[in-house]
This record gives sequence, structure tokens and C-alpha cells, in this order.
Amino acid sequence: MSDESMDGPTELEQLQRRLGRERATRRETEAIAERGMRALYEQQQQLQLLETIANAANLTSSDTDVLQFGLASVCEHTGWILGHVYRRDVFQSADLLQSTTIWYSSDPARFGEFKRASEGTSFSRGEGLPGRVLETCGPIWVTDVTTDAGFTRGPAAHAAKIASAFAFPALVGQEVVAVLEFFSEERQEPDEPLMRLLTHIGTQLGRVVERNRMADRLVHDASHDPLTGLPNRVLFLDRLKSAIARHRRHRDSHFAVLFIDLDRFKIVNDSLGHATGDKFLTHVSARLSASLRQEDVISRPNQNALTATDERTGDALARLGGDEFTILLEDLNDPSDAMRLAERIQDALKQPFVVDGHELYASASIGIASSNIMYASAEDVLRDADLAMYRAKASGESHCQAFDETMHAMAVERLNLETDLRRAVTHNEFVLHYQPVVSLPSAEITGFEALIRWQRGDKLVYPDKFIRVAEDTELIIPLGLWVLRTACTTMKQWQEQFPKTKPLTMSVNVSARQFAQATFVQDVRDVLADTGLDASTLRLEITESVTMGNVERTVAVLAQLKLLGVLISVDDFGTGFSSLAYLQRFPIDVLKIDRSFVSNMEGSDNRNIVHTIVNLASQLNMEVVAEGAETASDVAQLTSLGCGFSQGYYFSRPVAHAAATVLLERDRDR
Amino acid sequence: MKGVVFNLLEDVIVREHGETAWDALLDRAGVEGAYTSLGNYDDAEFGRLIAAAATKLERPVPEVLQWFGRTGMPIMAERYPHFFTPYGSTRRLLRHLNEIIHPEVRKLYPAADVPYFDFQDWPNGVVLLGYESARRLCALAHGFIEGTADHFGETIAVEQVRCVERGNPRCEFLITMPQGH
Repeated sequence: MSDESMDGPTELEQLQRRLGRERATRRETEAIAERGMRALYEQQQQLQLLETIANAANLTSSDTDVLQFGLASVCEHTGWILGHVYRRDVFQSADLLQSTTIWYSSDPARFGEFKRASEGTSFSRGEGLPGRVLETCGPIWVTDVTTDAGFTRGPAAHAAKIASAFAFPALVGQEVVAVLEFFSEERQEPDEPLMRLLTHIGTQLGRVVERNRMADRLVHDASHDPLTGLPNRVLFLDRLKSAIARHRRHRDSHFAVLFIDLDRFKIVNDSLGHATGDKFLTHVSARLSASLRQEDVISRPNQNALTATDERTGDALARLGGDEFTILLEDLNDPSDAMRLAERIQDALKQPFVVDGHELYASASIGIASSNIMYASAEDVLRDADLAMYRAKASGESHCQAFDETMHAMAVERLNLETDLRRAVTHNEFVLHYQPVVSLPSAEITGFEALIRWQRGDKLVYPDKFIRVAEDTELIIPLGLWVLRTACTTMKQWQEQFPKTKPLTMSVNVSARQFAQATFVQDVRDVLADTGLDASTLRLEITESVTMGNVERTVAVLAQLKLLGVLISVDDFGTGFSSLAYLQRFPIDVLKIDRSFVSNMEGSDNRNIVHTIVNLASQLNMEVVAEGAETASDVAQLTSLGCGFSQGYYFSRPVAHAAATVLLERDRDR
Repeated sequence: MKGVVFNLLEDVIVREHGETAWDALLDRAGVEGAYTSLGNYDDAEFGRLIAAAATKLERPVPEVLQWFGRTGMPIMAERYPHFFTPYGSTRRLLRHLNEIIHPEVRKLYPAADVPYFDFQDWPNGVVLLGYESARRLCALAHGFIEGTADHFGETIAVEQVRCVERGNPRCEFLITMPQGH
């Protein structure tokens, strides 16, 4: 008792202090509990916001709507007064954010000036608040818009009494597709949990943008060619349909369709593979686009109007598939302008293409159909342009042809021919005729050229009437092989029947399509092995078109054929355009002078040409055969020019097997 | 009524009149007196405490309420500085009353019955503040407004121009305060 009453505190003082401690403890406990409850509440609110936005993202189909909703929800959650969206146009400029008209504001009238200042702007990577979000792919907080160097709209914001700002990205993976920025009129310190929440919201919003982008991609893919990115048949027909409708309303505004089919594209594909073929097609499509952009060849009714190019729907290049392209020309003064464009396309294609290190040449057959005919459907226009294209192709490479009404009949005829030809191949309705090749001046038969004929009913059809169809339908492959095998078999017989110190030779024509077959060399080897014909007595006749596809491959194939011992003839020499270049590169044994130079040599340039070719062949150590010798005079001229060999009606027209055998007997017995 | 208001009343009484005054007040009002800021207590208990204080201080109830509000507000500011600091002035804090008080109260008591304030700018920096609450504690609000000005070191004049107690549909204050912000 006495201890307490001495110097120590009184009981009352002790109790008061104890009470003070208890009160402090209670306050502390309350504060802890309040913080916990507040945090829990805020987390619930954040979860609710995230859930709301996730729901909206699932239910809303439009980007704009969901971004708008995001702005409103975030403003509501944070109490910030203004929200705005920037979008990134991934197709145009990847590093630029464009302002949008998507805003949220609880007091729209108040921010008119600031909105105008923002809407006119775009931000590049790293520039301003949106640009910094684009750069960092994360949220950015600006506590004071007037002092933060990274906020570029300080004065406008200050005028609108904006104090703080933050922005966060809508993300697809690591790619920023949009930036949402928010403004507060109260100064706000960075709120880390909020910034984390916004990151999640950005992912949800990005999901919708990504989904719409995928949807856009699907729509685009359904109407575009994946290889070249050009419109496909569906879209082209759609545009053509519109053009027809416009022409119905405005009769003096014409349209035309160009149907472009590459010549010999199949050879490129077959010889170099589809990957190279595809690249070749993209090069061609680029060049077609380029020639369309130079509009000077086409006169338009409203060409002088300043807005002419904006108002027109634009000439549409499309890829229908394979090597087929189409162009829709609209708003023409004169449908014949289309022909001028077609010719310029031919010119544009003349320059060689370099694809995967190969130098490739392209030419196209172009058919044109135009509003000269009143068309009812887009399909009809396309069909007629296609028919005209076939007609152009039939005239040889690099031709253009406008459609006329007679072509329908021809198309029907051609279709019949194709059907009959298929049947003919199946039923083997073909025969070989043989035209002797003689040495000059003795006129002794040194060999034959095998020439195919089609026994169509009681009519004999010559190859000029069906070989092109055979090429187009690939029937040339079995047909070519049959010719080779039959000719070799025949020659083996004749060589045994008519032995000579220099054995008789057989010349067989090889088409470009055949030559491009990967199995061609093997086929020749097999036929030689099967027939037992000495390879050195077989002459494969190629034309320049065979070599056009791909020079490197041609060199390689010819070298393999030479290894077999086969001789190589160049047919129709002098009519092509790269003759001298390939004489040097290819292992050629025989030049066959085209018949056009051989007839009417007297007193004309032809004689000089033949003379030059003979000298050239002699210098290059090649044999030379003049084709088309028809008269005694032709033969005399050829002899005097030192031409070693000839064939032609003067000696014999191509004859059937039996008749040829008679010629050989006569030759032996003379 | 929120426990925090009871705590504030305790603080004010203890600061101004000592610990025993608070104990005496509890006895006089016949209440238990264990209040935590997290709790929610009968409005009538608050009324009895204020009535007891009025008797003890020999002043009318509204005057006591106003005194309590004015004296209590700086203590609130001490205890919850984050509700005051961002606003910097009475005008701005008043303007955000609904945004500060309501969300904060609701964070702790989701179903709380909170007062509603509205704010109109009148000429010459005068503000018309409307107060609507089922508790009819406009006198307390009056004191809180004055206490807020004290906290920010401002001189203001608050005049209650309408009051439900006088038969008006709601309570309104005309507040004259420094302009700007």
C-alpha cells in the first residue's frame, strides 16, 4: 500500500492511461478494419466493372459500341469526367494513332474546345499521352496535365479545367489497337490497382477489335484472291453487275471487260514448280496494276473534272484463278479504248520477269467484251470476253481480240472439237505421215519427218486444226508420246529394211507442253530402249516457244537428251525473235529454215536470209535443212547456196507409211 | 447513425470538457456508450446524447449540433486527411460532397441511408447548398460547413434560408465564401 502512495502514479492516473491505450487500440483496430472493408469494396467494384465490360465485349458486335461502352463504364467507376478513344489503323500506318469521334462526357457542352483540339490530332509512337501508351503497351498516368512534358495538349486541357489524365491501351496480344484516355478535373495521384484493372479492361476491349478484325478478314478473304490480294471472281462479277446497271441508266457511259490469259503459264508451273509459278503470277499482277494506273490511253467523259478520279469507282483488276486475270474499265467515252489498254498491257509484259533467279517471259492473250452489246448479266459479259480471249489465243501468242457475235458459233465448234479429240485419243484415230528429208544436190533420202494426222471419220485432219486444242487440254502429252513411239518403231524397221552407211534419221516434233514434262527425258530414253532405235538417228524438233519458259531448264534438258545421243533440231528457224541468243546457249545440231524464206527466193531478201542461215549453220557446225522446197528453182537456189538438206513438195509431200516405204525402195533402186 | 459520428462527438466533448463530461453525458442520456466507428447505432441514441449535452450546456439543441459540427470537422480532417487534401477549399469540397461522403459511407455500409446535397452557383461567389436527409440534421450540416472553412483557414458566412423545421420542403444554405476555384 505504501509503495503505491509514494512516488508512483496514482491509481486514477494509471486508469486514465490505460483508458488512453485502450482508446488508441480501438482507433487502430477500427482503422485497420475500415481499410480492409474499403479495399474489399473497391475490389468488388473493380470486379464488377471488369465483368460488365467483359459482358459487353461478348454481346457487342461493333468496335465503336464496345469502346464507347468502355469509356462510359470507366468514367462511371472512377468519377472521371471525360473519356476519348484513339485508334490505330494497322493497314495504313502502324505507328500512328488517329483520333476518333468516340467520347464520353457527363457534361458534353463543357469540353467542346478540348474535343475539337483532340479530334484534329493524330499521335505517332512516343508522342503525347496516346503515343506513349502505344510505345509502352501499358497504362500511363499524368498527375498534372499542365506540367507533364509528355502531355502535349496542356493549354487546351488547362482551359477546360482538366487537372489529371490517364490512358491505357486496348491490346490484341502485344499489339495496341486503340488507346482510351480519361480526364479528371481534380488532381489525381496515380492509382496502381486501378491501372492494373485497366490493363485487364484493355484486353477485353482488344478482344472485340480482334474479333471484328477476323470477321473483316473473313469477308475480305471470301472476295479476294489470297495469292495476289486482288478481287476474286465473286467480287469482280459483283462490280461488273453494278457497271451493267450503271450503263443501263447512263447509256453514253460505257464499260469494257478485258479477259487476260497468260500464254504458256502451265509450262512455267510444270518446269519450275508451283512456288515459282505463284511468284511469277504476283509479278504479273503487279505489272497489270501498274499499267492500269497510267490512264493516259483512256478518254473519260469527265476527265477534266477535278474530282474525276475520286468519283469514278476505279478500274478493277481481278484474278479469276490460275493465270486468268480480268479488268473492268468503266466510264469510258468509247469502248474501243479498251483495245488500247490491252495493247499497252502486251507491251508491259514484254520486259522479262526475274523470279527466283530465273528470267521468265510472259505474254498474254486478251479478249475484250464491252457495252457495245446490251448485256443482261455479268456472267454473259465474262463468258464473251473469255471467248474472245480464246480467239486471241488461237491467233498465236500476244494477241488481243474484241468479242463479236460470230464467236459463239466458233466456241461451240471448238467445244465439239475438244470432245471429238478426247475420243480420238482414246480410240487411237491418229496416223503418222512421213515427209522425206533429202540431201542436196543428190536428192537421196537421208531421213523423214514424222507428221501427225487425225483420221476423223472419212476426213484427214491436219495438226494446225487440232494441236492447239490438244495443247490446251493436255491431250498433247499422250499424243506426243504415241507419235514418238510410232515414229521410232517405224524408223527401226526402215533402217533394217534399208540399211545405209549413214543410217536414215527420224525427226519428231516436240511441243512445249511435252518438253515441260518432268518425265520427258525418261520417256525418250524408254522409247529408244523399247524400240531399239539408235539414239543418234532420232532428231527431236523443237521451236523457240519450247525454250521460252525457262532457259536454265531448257539447257539442262537438252544436255540430258544429248547424253542419250539424240540430236536436236530447231524448227521454223528465223521466225522467232531470240534465235541467235539461244543458238549459242543450246546444244543444237540442226537448223530447219522456215518455209517462208525458202519459197520465192529469186531476186528477194529471202535468198539473202537463207544464205545467211546456211553460212551461220556452217560456222556453228550445224546441219541445215530447208523446208518448203516446192519447185525446181527453189532446189537449184538452195543447192547454189550450199544448203545441205531439204524437204518439200518438190521431193514429196508427207505420205502414209506404205507410200513412204515405196519412196525408200525407189531411192534404193535408183 | 454511424459509429464514427458518436466517436467524433466523444472526441469533441472530451477535448472541450474533459473525460468525465463524456461519462456524465452517457449517464445522463442513459446509453451504454460503447461505440465503434464500424458500428451502426440507433439515431435516437444520438438524439439523447445531443439533448443531454444541450441540457448540460444550457443551450438549444440546434446550437449544440452546429457547435458539434464546427468543432468536429477539423478533427475529422485530422483523422481522414485524404478526404480533404485533394480539394483544397471549402467550395471545392462542398461541390464534391455527394461524391466523397456517399461512396465512402457505402464502402463500409452498402445499405447506408445517406444525405443528399446539391450545389448551385449564385452571383458574387455565393453558393446555394441544398440538404435533404431523413434525419433532419441541417444544424449539424451547418456546423460541418463552418468547420470545413475553419480547416481550410477561410472566412465564410453561412445562412440557413430554408428549413424543413420551418415548413419548407427542404433545407437550404446560402454560403458566401472566397471566390476562385
